Amino acid sequence: MHRRQVLKAGLGSVAMALTPLSWALPAREEAAWLFSAVDDPSGAHYIAGVALDGQTRFMIEVPERCHGGCLRPDSRQAVLFARRPGTRMYVIDGDSRQLAHTIAAGKGYHFYGHGVFDLSGRYLYVTANRLEDSAGLVRVYDAANAYAHVRDMPLDGIGPHELKLMPDGDTLVIGLGGIQTHPDYGRVKLNLDTMAPALMLLDRHSGEILARHEPSHHQLSCRHLDVAADGAVIAGYQFEGPEWEIHPLTCRLDSDGHFSELTLDDELTASLNHYTASVAFSRVSGNVLVTAPRGNRVLLLDAAQGTLVASLALPDAAGARCDGNGGFLVSSGQGGLYRVTPDLAMPELLASLELRWDNHLT
Amino acid sequence: MIASLRRLSLLACALLATPLSFATDTPTPRDMWHGAVELQYAELSAASERLEASAARFCQSPDEALRQRLENDWLSAYQAWQAVRFIQFGPAEQNSRGWQLQFWPDRKNLVGSKVRGWLKAAEAPDAQDIASDSVAIQGFPALEYLLYDDAMDEQALSDPAACDLMQAITTHLADTTTALHRDWQAFGEHYLETADYTETTLASAIQTLELLEDKRLGEPMGLKGAPANGYLAEAWRSGQTVRLVESSLEGLRTGFLPGLTALLREADALPLAEAFRDQLDKTLVQASELPPGLVPSLEDEEAFRGLQSLYLDISQLRHLLGNEIAGELGLVRGFNSSDGD
Repeated sequence: MHRRQVLKAGLGSVAMALTPLSWALPAREEAAWLFSAVDDPSGAHYIAGVALDGQTRFMIEVPERCHGGCLRPDSRQAVLFARRPGTRMYVIDGDSRQLAHTIAAGKGYHFYGHGVFDLSGRYLYVTANRLEDSAGLVRVYDAANAYAHVRDMPLDGIGPHELKLMPDGDTLVIGLGGIQTHPDYGRVKLNLDTMAPALMLLDRHSGEILARHEPSHHQLSCRHLDVAADGAVIAGYQFEGPEWEIHPLTCRLDSDGHFSELTLDDELTASLNHYTASVAFSRVSGNVLVTAPRGNRVLLLDAAQGTLVASLALPDAAGARCDGNGGFLVSSGQGGLYRVTPDLAMPELLASLELRWDNHLT
Repeated sequence: MIASLRRLSLLACALLATPLSFATDTPTPRDMWHGAVELQYAELSAASERLEASAARFCQSPDEALRQRLENDWLSAYQAWQAVRFIQFGPAEQNSRGWQLQFWPDRKNLVGSKVRGWLKAAEAPDAQDIASDSVAIQGFPALEYLLYDDAMDEQALSDPAACDLMQAITTHLADTTTALHRDWQAFGEHYLETADYTETTLASAIQTLELLEDKRLGEPMGLKGAPANGYLAEAWRSGQTVRLVESSLEGLRTGFLPGLTALLREADALPLAEAFRDQLDKTLVQASELPPGLVPSLEDEEAFRGLQSLYLDISQLRHLLGNEIAGELGLVRGFNSSDGD
């Protein structure tokens, strides 16, 4: 079959397959957009809003590569964040399909690429670096006041990355990567021998650090995470130490506060090449999906048991989020948008775009 | 990193089906790469120790001859690093060692401010102080500042502050490269056993050529959308930019080409290996005929044409490896897999 025909046939089946999704996606009462940072083939940077048919989309060009994003509750806004060591965040209006605000981190600060709103959608919590002392912070912004900066909450550590709001609405869970970088040094990792990563809980009102759980090796950088409805957290690591060693790449914080690491078999762990990207819980089952772009693979785990449900090949697997039906949408750095479900033997290609999706889907 | 190597996986299956005696008699591409790179790391370590000794001799009894010897030893060790710089994984990635040896590009002149800071320090640093400071003070560029920067006209290199700093850096550098060599040897078993490293090694060489084309030549020459800027070149202080490029090409010739040839022979695509070798040789000749520095050539039309020829030769070399050979072997470059966060 001619390549173009294959693509068309693929897209045809997409529209049909996705119809039920458009009403089932959590926080998506109407057909709406999947947001992601993307690069085009020439290397230009954009924020893309892609409709669930995989075809309709809008692109907003931005001066730097972006990374993660979050939806603002009870609104049509999404915020996407410049990738480390970027200094801006972009508020996108899904209705007008336009950039509503650009907010700078301010002199002496940069963002790490992730943020999250409180349940009301008023306050936005963003991980950031204070350059003068490399202090990891959660910076708070007031969306009701044109995203004015409100205050900073120090984390007593370096390199906070992804953060999410716990179901209580009061606690933030934060992956503290532990890696010191500085814009003057580009992406050079400056403290690999003295890293102190952690999975942290923070009271978003008082800024009090409620818990700090350390990975089993000081070079296991705790980066991306998701929270289940019952408050269980799964976080993914990136190992910065010798590549010939094998270490667990995911950890779990139970709803009762018990911290543990999930050990999979060595061969599978080794095949991930020490790197996980996105973590996404199903809102329907107890499954969690982890993408591993350097292993060209996604893992489906039973979060409570800590066991492997499926390990599926998916090239340059990047962003992930639940589809609301017990499955997941997964993007690929090579342009594909896939659906992964526990009962499918392989990822189902929904659409193939001439884009390089960055590591996260919002 | 690279997502798929379809033809090679097929080939691996075919190899498994052949009698073991045949497979063990023929060195695999990774055998050849590991062996060649080990020699390159050994040379880097030896050259760094010569540099350390040379710095100590100069500081003991500074004279013009010993200074000349010191400059030569600095360049030899720096060139030995360029030769093996195409290995961007394994022990070189540990503790950012590649960056420790050469922090570049340095748009903020952090090397300059770090060196000036230490020259003013109340107490002279030792190698341990250097080890716990920033990558900007740890490598060849910091030594280059001490040997060549205009600011050093006002302070003799033989001054205790400068000499102590230089010796601390050269000792740290010798320690780092010795560890690198030792760790590469220890890494051998894992490298040879893990099939993915074939892709990793190829991807690393492709990145090296892209860096050569875009950053080491294209940007300082003004070919990347911004005006020429000699300060973006490596080794602009010593005027050895082109010599370092030449050493990187030589390193690919001795460290990378033999394994690549074996790989393409297995894939029944030997003509591509020959085309790569011929283009590499042509590029090496072009580089060797140019003056050592890049900056003076920015102001000299004829010299600039020579640089442009080198740039185009490297561009063709990059195309051969990154497109034609990668295509033949079924390699697909990753996006997040090579540069995620």
